[in-house]
Amino acid sequence: MLEAIRNTWRHRDLIVSFTLRDIKARYKQTGLGVTWAIVQPLSMMVVFTLVFSVFAKVPSDGLPYPIFAYSGLIFWTFFANSLTGGTLAMVANSPLIRKIYFPRETLLVSVLLASTFDLGIALLLFAAMFLYYKVALTITVLWMFPLLALQMLLTLGVTGLSSAAHVNYRDIGHALPLLTQLWMFATPVAYPIQVIPEWLRPLYMLNPMAPIIDGYRRAFLLGQAPDLPALAVSAAITVALSALALAVFKRAELTFADVI
Amino acid sequence: MAQPVIELNNVSKRYRLRRGWHVKSIRDEVERLAKRLIMRGAPTRDDFWALKDVTFALEKGEVLGLVGRNGAGKSTLLKILSHVTVPTTGSFVARGRLGALIEIGAGFHPELTGRENVFLNGSIMGMSRREVQEKFDRIVAFAEIERFIDTPIKHYSSGQQMRLGFSVAAHVDPEILLIDEILAVGDASFQAKCLNKLAELKEDDKTIILVSHNLSNITDYAKRVVWLDGGSVRMIGEANEVVDAYLEHVTSDGVTGEAKGSESTFDPDRDLAIGEVVVRNRDEVVQDRFDRGETVLIDVSYAARRAMPGAVFVVSIQDLHGYPLGGIATDPDSVKVNAAVEHGVLRLKLDPILFTKGAYTLSVHAMDPVTKRYYDIRRRAARILVDGHRATSREASGHIHYPHQWEHIR
Repeated sequence: MLEAIRNTWRHRDLIVSFTLRDIKARYKQTGLGVTWAIVQPLSMMVVFTLVFSVFAKVPSDGLPYPIFAYSGLIFWTFFANSLTGGTLAMVANSPLIRKIYFPRETLLVSVLLASTFDLGIALLLFAAMFLYYKVALTITVLWMFPLLALQMLLTLGVTGLSSAAHVNYRDIGHALPLLTQLWMFATPVAYPIQVIPEWLRPLYMLNPMAPIIDGYRRAFLLGQAPDLPALAVSAAITVALSALALAVFKRAELTFADVI
Repeated sequence: MAQPVIELNNVSKRYRLRRGWHVKSIRDEVERLAKRLIMRGAPTRDDFWALKDVTFALEKGEVLGLVGRNGAGKSTLLKILSHVTVPTTGSFVARGRLGALIEIGAGFHPELTGRENVFLNGSIMGMSRREVQEKFDRIVAFAEIERFIDTPIKHYSSGQQMRLGFSVAAHVDPEILLIDEILAVGDASFQAKCLNKLAELKEDDKTIILVSHNLSNITDYAKRVVWLDGGSVRMIGEANEVVDAYLEHVTSDGVTGEAKGSESTFDPDRDLAIGEVVVRNRDEVVQDRFDRGETVLIDVSYAARRAMPGAVFVVSIQDLHGYPLGGIATDPDSVKVNAAVEHGVLRLKLDPILFTKGAYTLSVHAMDPVTKRYYDIRRRAARILVDGHRATSREASGHIHYPHQWEHIR
């Protein structure tokens, strides 16, 4: 694991180049440019507000539903986009992989960093909403950073496995949008965790994204620390998954060029 | 003695051939597993060995040429040498930073500008961004692309893209360099630049593996040559020897060569059929090896089922790659097929032959000059091997040695 981190650091310039490519290429020849990074979570927020707040009256921890939903949506969008991008990254770069050697995991890290840029843009709107809804920020907002670190490691773990699998089985690419959607509804993005029945909650919290998304909301909107026991379980799952992903990916990457 | 820079020991590479769809789907895998369970141990996939037991080593500063026909395993070998893939069995070691002038420009993104792509491609090839920054002006100048450097490269011509790609790759400054088809890039003046760069790299004591269809490039730069055939090393040794043997082999394939004394098999369905094509020397002895300047006789036999007074015969000469060097057609008066002919022979006399050292193949066809309809075509019907001084790619690219004099007139 340490060796992997060192190796990634050695190739930081390549990662920077791939990241810049991904960001620049995404918004070239678009009218709205980087605004697109806001459009996705914002439009989901509008839809969710209509469906879950106006029609269905889902509780929102006593907060205005739009900001409640948006706090989950921006971080979920970050996760979903980097998950999709990472899974498809090897195949999307197949001309390169077939012809030139470079450490393949740099592609995964770059996808993640490029999505982080989008997250940054989306956070600007988040800040504006704080002013609009007059919600006070507290020091607990600093929990955002460990939560982000954990989420990013989880993303790398999942995409390490899914991208390698996608090289061999293109089925993964077809199943991905559906799985991401299901995963979102198994995560407290549109609703608070309290709507999950008490007896189901231990199982529910095994989803490593659940305490993370819940944690952001507590840190930003409720002035609370995350649910630490649940977060510890999430972290343990994440670390185990990443270690497995690393081993699988490094073995699989040797023959990417042959099967891609 | 220093350790070899590149060492391959019994390197083999197997590819699995899958029928039809090369990407597996989970369903296929399940099917395959099911089959395996039912018919225990029976192989369900075909294996293809792209490389078999390839062994050689390179010392620092050595230039090695790699020749072989399409499908001989050159690309697979280059992929292994560049770490893109790993050998199935055997071992491969490379000591030193490795650079590849192979798929130049593979990392370009069409939406990004030339400048952005130089940085991107440079880092993919292993340069740091600072290193690219330092070499940036030289890279752009070498590619002759200064004016368009801030234009998205989707607007570049393919030549401009290749020049930029080559230029980035040429500035990576590796210790070991893999070069594939260096001269496929750009126009003549850019090619000259590429060859200069290659000479410069050679002087800098770089270890180079050179693949080219242009065999004079190989003999110009490489001291040793590996000839790959069907995935195995067919021959390895001194450059000229291997290239000559390779030439001999490539041109003899599919060529009838010597006269077999038979009346050959004419297609009875054709109105006019071309039979054997035999190459002889000035004494009418069958021969395919000549020195430049000798006389060559080419005998073309044919059969006609009816009178065809307008028929034209053409003998065309190709180089090793099938590139046409010229065709010689019969004059309106020299052949007149005025009646059914069972066995006619036409003789073409080339006096002298002006080709430079190399191997050439002859094709013959007969046609109706008015309707442009072919009566018969015989491709690679015979060959001529020309000995003597080999033209180097620097001195003269091409196959014709024209009779000439030089003088100082001022």
